[in-house]
Amino acid sequence: MPVLSAVRRQEPLGWGSCLVFLAALALAFTVSGTLLAVQGKPALQALWLLVESAFGSRYALEDCLIKAVPIFLCSLGVGLTFRLQVWNIGAEGQFALGAVGATWAALTFPGWPWYALLPFMLLCASATGGLWGAIPALLRLKLRANEIIVTLMLNYVGILILDFLVYGVWKDPASFGFPMTSEFVPAAVVARIGDTRLNWGLLLCLAVGVLMSVFLRSTRLGFELRACGENVRAARYARMPYAFLVVLVMVVSGALAGWAGFLEASATLGRLQPSIMSGYGYTAIVVAWLANLNPLVIAVASFLLAGVRVGMETLQLDLQVPAAFGGIMEGSILLAVLAGGFFSRYRLHLRRAA
Amino acid sequence: MMRKCLSLFLLAFLALGATAFAEDTKVGFVYVSPVGDAGYSYAHDQGRLAVEAMDGVTTSFVESVAEGQDSERVIMNMARKGYDIIFTTSYGYMDPTLKVAKEFPKVKFLHCSGYKNAENMANYFGRIYQARYLTGMVAGAMTKSKVLGYVAAFPIPEVIRGINAFTLGAQSVNPDVQVRVVWTKTWYDPATEKEAAKSLLDVGCDVIAQHQDSPGPQEAAQERGAWSIGYNSDMSAFAPKSHLTSAVWNWGPFYTDMVKQIKDGTWKAQFYWYGLDHGIVDIAPFGPMVPADVQKTVLAKKAEIASGAYKVFTGPIKDQAGAEKVAAGAVMPDEELLGFNWFVQGVVGTLE
Amino acid sequence: MSLEILLALLAATVQAGTPILYATLGEILTEKGGVLNLGVEGMMLVGALAGFLTALHTGSPALAFMAGGLAGAGMAALHGVVCIWFQGNQTVSGLALTIFGTGLAGFFGTPYVGRTAPGFDKFSLPVLGDIPLVGDIFFQQDALVYVSYLIPPLMWAFFRYTRWGLGVRAAGESPAATRAAGLNVLGFRWAALLCGGVLVGFGGSYLSLAYTHLWTNGLSSGRGWIAVALVIFAFWRPSRAMLGAYLFGGVMAFQLRLQAMGTALPSSILLMLPYVLTIAALAFSSWRSQRTEAPAALGVNVEPSE
Repeated sequence: MPVLSAVRRQEPLGWGSCLVFLAALALAFTVSGTLLAVQGKPALQALWLLVESAFGSRYALEDCLIKAVPIFLCSLGVGLTFRLQVWNIGAEGQFALGAVGATWAALTFPGWPWYALLPFMLLCASATGGLWGAIPALLRLKLRANEIIVTLMLNYVGILILDFLVYGVWKDPASFGFPMTSEFVPAAVVARIGDTRLNWGLLLCLAVGVLMSVFLRSTRLGFELRACGENVRAARYARMPYAFLVVLVMVVSGALAGWAGFLEASATLGRLQPSIMSGYGYTAIVVAWLANLNPLVIAVASFLLAGVRVGMETLQLDLQVPAAFGGIMEGSILLAVLAGGFFSRYRLHLRRAA
Repeated sequence: MMRKCLSLFLLAFLALGATAFAEDTKVGFVYVSPVGDAGYSYAHDQGRLAVEAMDGVTTSFVESVAEGQDSERVIMNMARKGYDIIFTTSYGYMDPTLKVAKEFPKVKFLHCSGYKNAENMANYFGRIYQARYLTGMVAGAMTKSKVLGYVAAFPIPEVIRGINAFTLGAQSVNPDVQVRVVWTKTWYDPATEKEAAKSLLDVGCDVIAQHQDSPGPQEAAQERGAWSIGYNSDMSAFAPKSHLTSAVWNWGPFYTDMVKQIKDGTWKAQFYWYGLDHGIVDIAPFGPMVPADVQKTVLAKKAEIASGAYKVFTGPIKDQAGAEKVAAGAVMPDEELLGFNWFVQGVVGTLE
Repeated sequence: MSLEILLALLAATVQAGTPILYATLGEILTEKGGVLNLGVEGMMLVGALAGFLTALHTGSPALAFMAGGLAGAGMAALHGVVCIWFQGNQTVSGLALTIFGTGLAGFFGTPYVGRTAPGFDKFSLPVLGDIPLVGDIFFQQDALVYVSYLIPPLMWAFFRYTRWGLGVRAAGESPAATRAAGLNVLGFRWAALLCGGVLVGFGGSYLSLAYTHLWTNGLSSGRGWIAVALVIFAFWRPSRAMLGAYLFGGVMAFQLRLQAMGTALPSSILLMLPYVLTIAALAFSSWRSQRTEAPAALGVNVEPSE
């Protein structure tokens, strides 16, 4: 009786990994399409429409780029923490706190010129976002509190802090009581690039991406981070204690998510209001895992998942597909890729039972 | 040969032009929550169905659109796809609607419950507070404990206005009533809203009113044997034993009127704030437990408000601290109503 | 606060804590077997929808409750396929399950927002319900609450006295030794995962069948995550899980009653209480002794054997 058994590979799978990844994507699309069909929607047409409306026109590509910016920043930070087996689920809350920090700066110093105000807003967003990342890190180190739970709870708390501020002391007196801050002065708004709808936040992403690449390739710490496997705790990295690293990556991750919040508040909305929250922090988890801390891959994955979000709106408008379908796509992609990872690490043997 | 081509071309052009004129007007709707919620978006969608029934008009909608960036793209998408009229039904869509309106001057936009407008963008809302006043009268007449409970969503002017109108209505038939407010910070979360209603019932309320869209509070009231007042649409199906009446929306006549005006070219981009007079708001049919004399009084008041003889926010009105905010005989102007940020006397609750 | 209001608050606490209790017990079972399943939030939603749809179409709340449990098991099976069969990272798989489950429930459930289905209503137990104070709090609830009282002692006995319970615990503490002793490690893990999934599904369907008779996307509002945290707070013991679940139910019920009684505290701050309390409880219990209490092989995948 032949038996299927799995043996660990001695060498990692090279190009085959790519094929496995694509197969996983195909599986995810198939599953999603099947679910669409079950609900009576035309599956193939819907999936094609998703892709075409996300990437098929200049407007759509612009939309994808705009959406990809916050996803990219959050994913970079989250990916960094994942590498160290620190599970930062708190990008949403760090995003909110970053927006809060930047808004404080914009509302308190409206008279400053843009070249002073914008960097200061960035700094404040780093501080508040970084703080929101530091808290779970410290709790993990000092009290061994599971950071998954703490970061998640802090998401809810962070959003409530934002609500508290915009319903209370920061409420715009001219807004007829609606919860939003006053509009930011022009000096506090990140400008658009030329006459496109893109903004200079894209430049920030580029800079951060390049910096991260350089860090990962050229520094000792970066190299060790890239090379480390599952057994993280034993090693000491670049002569830095693991504990210190945990705090460092969480603060950096929080700061990056905070920058995403700053950009959303400044460039996209021009003020702070509760609807700034769009779930980018959760999408970042998917991207971070898929991309495995390669900034270029994170950029591409961010762009693709942004495309899923953009395409979803057309699906809603044209085919009345519920908005929750986006979650199905993201979740099934991640599950399929996780399962597919098996084939990269193991080889299947068909042999006779002993 | 040339002349034949030219005439053919002209004919085709004319034909195209003719079809352009004969083309249906495309009307799009953007909702902030699912349509089936028997609540706010459901009420708007009922209005859309009335528009759909019109000749020469086709409609479509997108639901559960998050306010902010996503809504801007949805509205932009609709405009780019050639929709002629777009209704955006939540206050958080205000800035996005304005942005898109500026880029598409030929498309007409109507934004619900906001305050910014443009040449091709109007705002509209309904004086639901008039219906709230009437439901308050019913509640005040039916309560035995003289404590009414209000499950409120978010501390924004329309909710505060509704609470105040409800209180004034109750006090007009029962001067000693108190209205207790619990904020859930949700628009549709049945579990939290039901728990909020239960907490009001626990402190002695025997009538529950709500501003959210889920029937959770209605369920809670029925389970305890208390009375309840619904919102958005007739909620009696969820709690037949406790449902007294509801403050309901009736967008159909308004929407069809707007579309007609736009098609006729007589439409103006202004602030439309109609009420009982135009039939945009109403109260649901009374439950069987409401006595006939109460029904008579309430309906008489309804007629008064509809005709303009009685204005809900007529002084003297005091705030929670007892200070007089509206003098006797004076009527609160619309601007103050739109920015309502204080509670009238008799309301127990915070504003944040 | 009068006695009346206090009793009402405590009774509401028990009811509010019940869905969290079911979910926490389910996750305890799963984790005792060594599998970390972070998909509880998504599983609760799927369970809630499955229960709601079944009640709507069959009119039988009991059948609907079972359906909710089955749906939970189905989602857990997905996690098992990815982690136990395909050795996927358990943490990330759980997160993916949450995203997928939330999307799945919303996708199929959106047309049902605003509908109501038959469910469970409260009734007083004979004799027990008449006991002053205790009876008012514990024995005037709905049937599912009464069922939830039975599960912690049953679970405790299962782990303490049965061979299967021992097997599950062994699979979670040291899979290698268990395998060496000739036991089917993967089998025990699967069993713990699926049965745990049933309980989590029960927790979800409680929300749509008893707590309310309604459905909406996001019905669970974070309760699944609180359950995951409570497992740690409970030191993986079913009895302490009851304490934790009721504590949380209590906070959720309390902050609303505080508003109803009239307070000057802004509601945003009050709404933060359950989440801040979760962090505090977690920090406290982790500090006390997480190392010794957690199953040693929790979250570690078992290598496929030759």
